[in-house]
Formats: sequence, C-alpha cells, structure tokens
Amino acid sequence: MTSIDAAPSRRRYLPAWATRPEIGLVVIIVLMIAIFSVTAPGFLSPFNTFAVARDLAVAIVLGYAMMVVLAVGGMNLAVGSIGVCVAMATAGLQAAGVPAILSVACGVAAGAALGGVNGVLVVRTGLSSFMITLATMSIYFGAMLLLSGAEAIRDLDPGFIYFGRARIAGVLPVMFLVAVVVAIALTYFYRATALGRQTLFTGANPKAAELSGVPVVRTVVLAHALSGLLAGVAAIMLTARTGAGVPSMAGQIGRDWLLPAFIAPVLGGSALAGGSVAIVGTFLGATLVAVLGSGLRMVNIGDFWIELFLGIILAIAVIADRARALWSSGDRGQ
Amino acid sequence: MSNVVDIRGASKSFVGVRALDNVSIDLAAGEIHALLGENGAGKSTLIKIITGVYVPDSGIMKLGGQEVSFRSPRDAINAGIAAVHQERNLVPAFGIAENICLDRLPVRHGLLDRAAILADAEVWMKTIGLKLDPATPVRQLSVAQLQLVEIAKALSLRSRVLLLDEPTASITPHEADRLFEVLRDLRSRGVAMLFVSHRLEEVLALCDRVTVLRDGRNTAIGQPIEGIGRRDLIRLMIGRDEETTVPPRSHASDGAVALELKGVATAAAHRDINLTLHRGEILGLYGLVGCGRSELAKAIIGAISVTAGEVSVGGRPARIRSVADALARYRIGYVSEDRKGEGIVLDQAIATNIAVTVWTRLARRWSRFLSRTREYAAVRPIAERLQIRAPSLAVLAGKLSGGNQQKVSVAKWLLAGTEILIMDEPTVGIDVNTKAALHRLIRELADDGKAILLISSDMPEIVAVADRMAVMNAFRIVGMVENTHSYQDMSAKIMHVIHGVADADAETAGSGRVA
Amino acid sequence: MKRARAIQLLRTGNAGLALILLVAIVALAIANPAFLTSFNLYVVLTSVALWTCVALAQMTTLSTGQMSLSVGSLGGLVAIVVGGLCELWGVPLPLAIAAGLAVGFAGGFLNGILIATTGINSFIITLATFSAFHGLTMGLTRAIPFYHMPASLKALGNARFGAVPLMLGIVLVVALVVDLIFQRTRIGRYMLAYGGNATSAVLSGLSTRKVVIFAHTMSGLLSAIAAILTVGRLQIAQPTIGEDWLIISFAAPIIGGASLTGGYVSVTGTLLALALLAVINDALVLLGVDPFWVQVVLGGLILAVVSVNRLREGRRLGEAIAR
Repeated sequence: MTSIDAAPSRRRYLPAWATRPEIGLVVIIVLMIAIFSVTAPGFLSPFNTFAVARDLAVAIVLGYAMMVVLAVGGMNLAVGSIGVCVAMATAGLQAAGVPAILSVACGVAAGAALGGVNGVLVVRTGLSSFMITLATMSIYFGAMLLLSGAEAIRDLDPGFIYFGRARIAGVLPVMFLVAVVVAIALTYFYRATALGRQTLFTGANPKAAELSGVPVVRTVVLAHALSGLLAGVAAIMLTARTGAGVPSMAGQIGRDWLLPAFIAPVLGGSALAGGSVAIVGTFLGATLVAVLGSGLRMVNIGDFWIELFLGIILAIAVIADRARALWSSGDRGQ
Repeated sequence: MSNVVDIRGASKSFVGVRALDNVSIDLAAGEIHALLGENGAGKSTLIKIITGVYVPDSGIMKLGGQEVSFRSPRDAINAGIAAVHQERNLVPAFGIAENICLDRLPVRHGLLDRAAILADAEVWMKTIGLKLDPATPVRQLSVAQLQLVEIAKALSLRSRVLLLDEPTASITPHEADRLFEVLRDLRSRGVAMLFVSHRLEEVLALCDRVTVLRDGRNTAIGQPIEGIGRRDLIRLMIGRDEETTVPPRSHASDGAVALELKGVATAAAHRDINLTLHRGEILGLYGLVGCGRSELAKAIIGAISVTAGEVSVGGRPARIRSVADALARYRIGYVSEDRKGEGIVLDQAIATNIAVTVWTRLARRWSRFLSRTREYAAVRPIAERLQIRAPSLAVLAGKLSGGNQQKVSVAKWLLAGTEILIMDEPTVGIDVNTKAALHRLIRELADDGKAILLISSDMPEIVAVADRMAVMNAFRIVGMVENTHSYQDMSAKIMHVIHGVADADAETAGSGRVA
Repeated sequence: MKRARAIQLLRTGNAGLALILLVAIVALAIANPAFLTSFNLYVVLTSVALWTCVALAQMTTLSTGQMSLSVGSLGGLVAIVVGGLCELWGVPLPLAIAAGLAVGFAGGFLNGILIATTGINSFIITLATFSAFHGLTMGLTRAIPFYHMPASLKALGNARFGAVPLMLGIVLVVALVVDLIFQRTRIGRYMLAYGGNATSAVLSGLSTRKVVIFAHTMSGLLSAIAAILTVGRLQIAQPTIGEDWLIISFAAPIIGGASLTGGYVSVTGTLLALALLAVINDALVLLGVDPFWVQVVLGGLILAVVSVNRLREGRRLGEAIAR
C-alpha cells in the first residue's frame, strides 16, 4: 500500500533504537558512574548520592525551563534572572511571615508572570526571543536588586527548609520527586493535551501552524510563561537547599544559569529550532552533567575546571548532532 | 550558427512528479527570447537548471557550443549566465556602485579604491540609463530602480546571457517601457536574453522568438514571434480541446450565500473587492501570478487584515480576527498554495498534520486529555476517504509524494468540518491521478453543500471544475464569467477580461499604480 | 551633491543620538554641577574607554549577522594570561601583551572556525566557548587574581591628561582602525555584505568561511585589547574581568544603530551610545539614585531601541527591497 519514495536505506550498523540519543546518554552515564565509583571513594555513598540528587533536581527543572521555550522555537536568556526574582520574592514573603506554601505559590506565579511578559513582548514586537530576553534578563535582575537591596534573606520558614532537607529511604531527596513530577507533567502536556501538541506544531513551522488555525500568539506566550514558571520552581528548590534567598545565586544578571539551562536539553536531543522535545533526554542530559560534575569534584579536579569540561561537552554534543542530521539526510537528493 | 545557450532533452523529476520531460530551448546572441508557460508548467524548474540551482537528471546543456554542467549558482555566473530574479539580491545598506561591483571590489594599497568602483559602475549605469547618485544606498530605491541596478550588475559580469524572471511584475507600465528600451538596446549589442513573463502583450511587443512549456514539455521551441497572435500563445500554453476530466455538475447550488465580500480593501493593497460565494458552489478565481489571489484568500481567512468594506458569512457580518477565529466561528478553511511551507509541516506525522485543526475538540473536557487513539480514530476515515497512501499515519509528512502531501493539507479541513473552503492552486506539481482525485473531491464537497473558492491559474482545471469564475488582476476583481465548460470559449473570455483591462492600464501611462 | 550628502548625514540616527547625548550632558550638568569636574569627567571617559573595545568586539560579529557570547569570558582569559605571565614568570610587558593578544586572536579564531565549518549557529557555539573560556580562566587561577602588575601597565590604565585618560586615546585609535576596516577594506565590506544579504554575497563569490572566521578573530582581538586595558585600570588581573560585559557589548552597538540581522554597523554610533550609557551611569551615581537602576535602564534602553528600529525597518522594507 505504499508509493512513498523513501530514501534508499543505508546499511545499518546498529538497530534503530540504539541510535537514539537517550540510549547513548544512558550508556555514558553508566560508564561514568562505573569509572567514578572506582576512582573516587565515596562517590556512591548515601551522602554523596543525596547531595548530587538534590542539585540534579534543580538542574533538571532548569533544563525543562529552557526546553519548553525551545519547543516553540524561541529561547529564554532570562531564566536566571527570573529564577533569582522568584527566589527573593519567596524568601521575602516567608521572612515577612507568610506561610511557606503560600509564598511558594506566589513565587511560582511571579515566575509565570515574568515569563509571560517575555512572551507578550516577543509576540507584540515581532523581535527575536533572544533580543527580548537579553533585555529582560537585565531589567528583571535590576528590579530584583532594587527591591532586595542585594541582601540575602535568611529568615525562611522552617517547614520550607525542612523540605529542602527531606529525604526518602535515606537517599532520595524529596526535591528529586518534584523534578520527576515535572517530567511526568510535561510528558502529559506535550503528548496528550491540545495546547502541548499545538506548541510543538508552532515550533516546527509557525506559519503553517497559524494557517492551520493554531492560536500561535497564545501558544508562544504560554510557552514563555511556562518557562518562567519552571525557572521559578528551580529557584525555589535551590533556595530551600541553600536555606537562604541569595541575590547572587544565578550570577550577574543570571548568566550562570545559561549553560546548565541549555546543556540539558541540547544533550538530550531537543531541537534547538523548535518542534520537538526530548523530556527523557533532558532528564538524562542533566543527570550526565551532574554525575560528571560530582565525579570530577571527588577526584579533586576543581569546581572551576568543570565549567570548561561542560563547555567542551556542549560543543561536541551540538556538532555530533549536526553531523548526525547531515548524515541521515545526505542521500535525500537535491 | 552556434547558439549561446543550447539545452536539449532536459528532464528533471522530484519525488513522484516529473517537472521537466525532455525539454529543449536555445538562445542566440542578440535576441530576446520569451519563455512562456502557466504555473506548474516547468518554467521555474528550467530556469533553475539554467542558473545552476538544479542539476538535470538527463539532457545536455551547451554554452557557446561547449558542453557545461553547473553544480552551483556560482558556476553558472562564472560561465556567463546572469539572472535577474523576482527576489532582489542586493545588499541593502550598500550603494549602487558597490552592489554592482561587489564580486570584484578593487583595492589599492590595501584600501578600497572608491574612485575605481565609481568609474566601473558608472559605465554600466550609463548603459542602462540609470541616472542616480552611485553612492545611494539601494534600500532607498524603488522596485523599478532596483531592477535596473540588478541588470547593470548582471551586465557588468560581462555575461553572455541575461535571464529576466517576471521583470515587469512590480513596476508601472511607464517603467516597463523604459526597461524595454534598455533591453532592445542590449539586443543590438549582441546580448542573449531570456525573457520569462506571463504578460502576453509584452512578449508579443518585445520578443523575437518564443519557447512554450506545458505540463513539463515543450509545446513550442524557439518559434519566431512573427505571425503568432495572442490566441496562438494561449493555445500553446493551456492546450486545446482537452477532454474534460469531470462531467458538468448535476447538483446546482441552492442559492444560499455562504460568503460575501462588499467593497473590501485589505492591508495587501486590494481595493473594492466584491465577491459572492454560494453554498454548494465552486467559484473559480483566476488570475496571473502576483495579482493578489492568495493574499485575498489570506484576508478572508484572517491572516491578513481587512481594512475596509464588509465581510459576511451566512448572511451575517463577520469580523474575522485570526485563522483560528475563521475556523472555529465561521468554519472557513484555506489550503495554501505553498504546500511545503504553509500547507503541512514536513517534520510532523501525517496524523498530526491532519488532526491539528481538531485537537481542541478531541481533548476531553476536564482532563484535557487527548489520546492518540482518539486522534487516529478521527484521522483514519478521512485519510481513507482521500486515499492517502502511506504505510502508517505516523510517517512524517515530508516523506510523502506531492500528491499525498496535498491530500494531507486538504484532509485537515475536511476533518474540521469546514463549510467554506478556499483552495489555492491545489493541483500544482501533482501527478495526474491525484489531480483527478482532487477534482472529484472538490465536486463531492460542493455537492454536499460546501462552498468552494478555487484559486487556480490552470485554465483546463478551472474550466472543468468551476461553476462560475471571478477574474482578478492587479489586486482587483476585474470580471465575473459564467462557465460554459468549453475551453476555447472560456479561455478567450477570461483572457479578454484580463488583458482587456491591462491594455487600458497601459494607455494611462504613468498612472503610478504598482501591481 | 555635497549638500545632499550633508543633509543625509544629519538625518541619520547618529545625529539623533548625538542630540540625546548632548541633552543628557546638559541636563546632568545642571542637575549636579559636580558632573563637570575634571575628576568626574575622567571617570566617565574611563568607562567609555574600557567599554569601547568590548562594544566593538560584539559589533564586529553583529556586522555579519552573528553574535558572540564569549566576548567577556575571552577577555577574562586574556586578562589572567597577561597577569600570570607578568607576575609568575616576570615576562616583560610588551611580550605579555603580545601573548594576551595572541590568546584573544586564538579564541576568536576558534569560534570562527567552529561556526564556519560546522554551520551551527553562533549562539550555541559561543555559549559553549563562553563556558569553556570561563572555566579555563577560573580553573587556572582558582578565582584568585594576580596582584602584582608591572608599573607600566598600571600607568597605561591610569594615566591621564586632565580629564582625558590615556586609554581613551588608545581606544579611539582602535575605533578608527575598525571603522576603516568596515568602510574601506575589502574584508570589511564583505563582512557587511554577508550580513546584509548572504545570498547576494555568496553569489558574488565571497567566501563565507573567510568572512566568518575573520569577524570572530577580529572580535577576539578586540576583547583582548579591552581586557588588557581593564587590567591596567584595575591594577590587578582579576579572573572575573569580562563577567559583566555581555549586556553592554550588545547594548552599545544596537543603540548605536547596528542592524540586528547584520549588514549595518556604526562605529560612531557605538561610541556615542557608550558615551550616553556612561553619562547615564554617572547620573545615577551623582543624583544619588540606587545604582541598581543601571541594569533596569540598560535593559529598558535595549528594548526601546530595538522596538523603534523594528518599526523603522518595517516601514522601509515595505517600500523597496522585497524579502
């Protein structure tokens, strides 16, 4: 029943499923764990596992914050700034006596609002999300500094701090569950809701999406809002772990979060141009980075060198992905 | 006499479609040679082969008697073929002179030799008769002036061949006359020119010989223009007395008005558009390339804004704010002429492409849950009805043949239950069988009571399928004709309507109206 | 003809910018006469001098329609290389400076080569190298600055003639050279041509590879110059140099009129924009405004300028050049 002119099939060295990026990531992660468990004593200890898992949870959600906006074909340079705004807002509310749950809800809502502003600006001005979020990353950070006076807030709700420390079975941080829940929610969103499907469709081809009746404006704004929301969630988790709202937590204008936010989705196989998301891949990408970081730290390679490693890994990952894309479409004539 | 350009037996196929079948053309020095053909006839494919964008599957191309093969546009340029396309290829911030000399910027003592650039450019500007300050940034120029700059640039490459693709598309008749003077002068200097145009009166006035393509084949190769009239050209382009693929309709429209436009003007330069579309009717919208049909369709569906006049759907005034609006509230759909860019998303599955219009409807109320099963269950019947050939609905749309892709593009509107469907050039570049199937589908839809607006520049198609025809030119509706379903009759009528009006335009020279 | 040219010049964005700058200076001078003191002007001009090459570095990549996120971190790397060579190995200053420039050259070249050969967009490549350079810088120094810089370098960064820092003279010369490159050399015109209409440029036989590599390499060199001057000014080689360069590197060229998609840049405009930003910065200090407003103002200015540009471009594009 087929009249499709398929590309001539290449001789396969590996079965199709084995070439998926997720498998490669799992292999590398397992390898790294194996190597580090041997070379770095204490790598697999409950203490270290717990610590890594906690940081990993933050990194995963941050990766998702970038992924959801890559999905629609844009980017969010302001993840760090939005994050620190939310962190300070949440901490500030708690210091003022607001109950933890309420402060978290407000913080998350604030994140969504800031992200939403990005989205509206993108749609209204027609400018690239790069340019818009470059400007807002500065504006949001400045606003945060003004409101907080650049001072850390340490007066947090004890329940909140407990959440940052809570663990299951002595090893698994409760925070990690949050990351897992986010992953599941996003999977549901993109697979089984109209808005999620519309988002991917828009990212793949905005013009065709618009002409097919997809409410593109709404889709883009909501994607940016979701990004802000997730950045807020990540920031709140980090604040709980640190036990304080720290204005410098994401670096100057939030730039320290740019690399982690991008590297997870990229390693995981999310298309930079939009149209597809790799939820498991992003999860694994963040895991790879966390495992590598922890392992290197334990073999006494300074924290500082890790950033160098990650930059190189990011470069290799995009180049490899590019090579793979060229290779697979190479025999499609014309 | 060896020709400057000689192409014999060129063929080119794309997935499932034979764009060119054994086509030949030759160009001699010192002539203006017309290349004619309707949309989808293969003109643009042939042009792309000449300019090195495509490599032909078979056939021989000779330049000045020597066989050549181009692997890239730069090869073609180096070989002496210069093209002036419809899109501008100039650097906006640079001056005229610099744009002309861009490929050979002269340097003296390490720095740009401004004087030499000016001197070089002035030669060519004078040849063209372009009297402007050579330092003027080209982004400040009018379309006609840009075109002249491009021609000057092409000439400065000392090319033997100059290819002009729809050169008069966006310039006033007055500017066109100036252009023709320039071309005639170049002819006397021995330049070989390939003039691609839809405007028959221009071709008759300007060109020496004509090559015509229809359905990817030659219907004329290098025929001298003497003795050929407009009707002959039309017959060569659109064929004659072909069998109607579809018998005349048995159902007539029940007369209820589905869509009406009164005095509508749009952001895309439409003025005073009046159009009535009835339920159960197939209204053809005929016009030449660039006359504003697609833009009108996009205005109806809400992608381009309506700036004046009244639009009413089903007798009630309608304010259509977006495509989503048009679909949800008024059940209007639009099948784009740009199949791969706007009609479908190549990187998404067939099922996704078809279900996109109904996702919000398929999702369950409370949980917003949209299951694959429901999606596929909804898509499958439509895919079967349209006979979309694919191993599964999960296949990426980009892997389908053109005909199947078009079916997917149409399917999503069927699934959404649109009542008013605008189809823009639905059968361009599609195999004959799928073409016939689509025509049958259009008939069925109309019989079901849907209102169809069929935009087409394929004369046989529109004559066979449409009940009535609106004729468009220069962003206005210039006439309505009833369809007698006879080719000679209808083609003459339609062409008369279009060119009759165009002649009137030419007489009012300098009217300044840009198409 | 000359008159028309002059009128055209007046109409350009630069005139408007110069006017705004003038107004800002006058307003500030009135609001707080301390603005006009020799020392204060020196501070303002020093800011301008330090940022000039940063802005020019980004402007260069913008000309081709690309960008470089690694302008700052490359600068940091150069700073510690120069600092380290001077302090740890007593390398004579000229040699150390040459080494610093070489590092800038190499870093930029790396960016260019990666982008040109892989075809991957400049954002992600320079994001990767930004991290790599920063990590390298931090790793080599463990975040500890080099404190003992040669006297001549310190003098370079701090010498002044009244209100005018010596550095300003240096960067103005650099700016002149950059302007010359873009206006009067073939490679400079090719960079702009590629940014303005890549298809046209390629059809005119220009090598994309050469253009991209040159642009990024030049950008790296400019980063290096900025870094060296900064070390001189601060009198220590801090590994954190460059960490706050990102926004300013984009803001100044854009406010100065550079097109976001490439094809048009203005050295004069960039310099005027830097002056304006320095004045605004100074105003915040002199008027006792919370210095944290700077970030907000910077971001707001970028947004305002690009939005206005967009409107202007939209109108013009509708007229002549299609697509």
